Amino acid sequence: MATALLERPIDGANPLSEPVIDWAAMSDDLDSPSDAVDLAEAQPVLPFEEQTLPFMDQLYAAALRMTRNPSDAQDLVQETFVKAFAAWSQFKQGTNLKAWLYRILTNTFINSYRKKQREPFQSPIEDLEDWQLGGAESTTSRSTRSAEAEAIDHLPDSAVKNALQSIPEDFRMAVYFADVEGFSYQEIADIMKTPIGTVMSRLHRGRRMLRDLLADYASDRGIATSPARSTK
Amino acid sequence: MTDCGCDKAKQDLEEYLHNELLADEAADIREHRETCPSCGGEHKVALVLIDAVQRACRETAPEELRVQVLARIREIQLHA
Repeated sequence: MATALLERPIDGANPLSEPVIDWAAMSDDLDSPSDAVDLAEAQPVLPFEEQTLPFMDQLYAAALRMTRNPSDAQDLVQETFVKAFAAWSQFKQGTNLKAWLYRILTNTFINSYRKKQREPFQSPIEDLEDWQLGGAESTTSRSTRSAEAEAIDHLPDSAVKNALQSIPEDFRMAVYFADVEGFSYQEIADIMKTPIGTVMSRLHRGRRMLRDLLADYASDRGIATSPARSTK
Repeated sequence: MTDCGCDKAKQDLEEYLHNELLADEAADIREHRETCPSCGGEHKVALVLIDAVQRACRETAPEELRVQVLARIREIQLHA
């Protein structure tokens, strides 16, 4: 029934429909050679918004970890999209768009927000020494590892966020890029503009600090010390 | 934690978790972990930690941010 109703006006011979058919035939002929080229090269290029906007949640999450407050994070993300749009012609289609956007985000953060924030712990790696870096054995004996895993597993998100916020930015972001975004060491090195060795060191130390902070949090609440009473 | 392979396994754990090791090295660590409760425990803690960080960092950008970004882009397009 519905189709019959739809067909009627078309059958009513609108003269405008004929050129449309002609165009279709013509473009078919024109398209066939270029189709082959398209298939060999890449998908048709989607507009900027369609390609980049799906990354907004992720970029916002990263910006929150960088700036540590929602208002600055929003500004940072907005600035990132504006810069990305301005530089869009320089993006090489088919390469890693996510990494490209994160590079812009990180640059923007370093250039505008880090200066503003003036974090007291903005010290270079050398100044940090090896506090709490005594290796895994120092904080956790074998028997309590499973208790530690259990405790971490049950920590509220807010505790993990607070712990992340309190470790130095370079370490925090290395952990974030690797663990949350799953970037490779090479990609993180490109984003943070540091050698791979530095990325590894930041990641190791960042993880260590995070783990110690979370262990403290858990033991303060008697979680790690009483694994038997864990809340399932 | 002497020459049984623990030092190496613990040192490389991070790289192992992030798939940054060669296949052979990764296999060595996997093998060692099966027979070493200490390294097995370390691995477990590391996995749980990654998981906790991922969970804690999940965010949704506010709708107004999306609107602002699109508005800025339109504005630039108009003046281009």
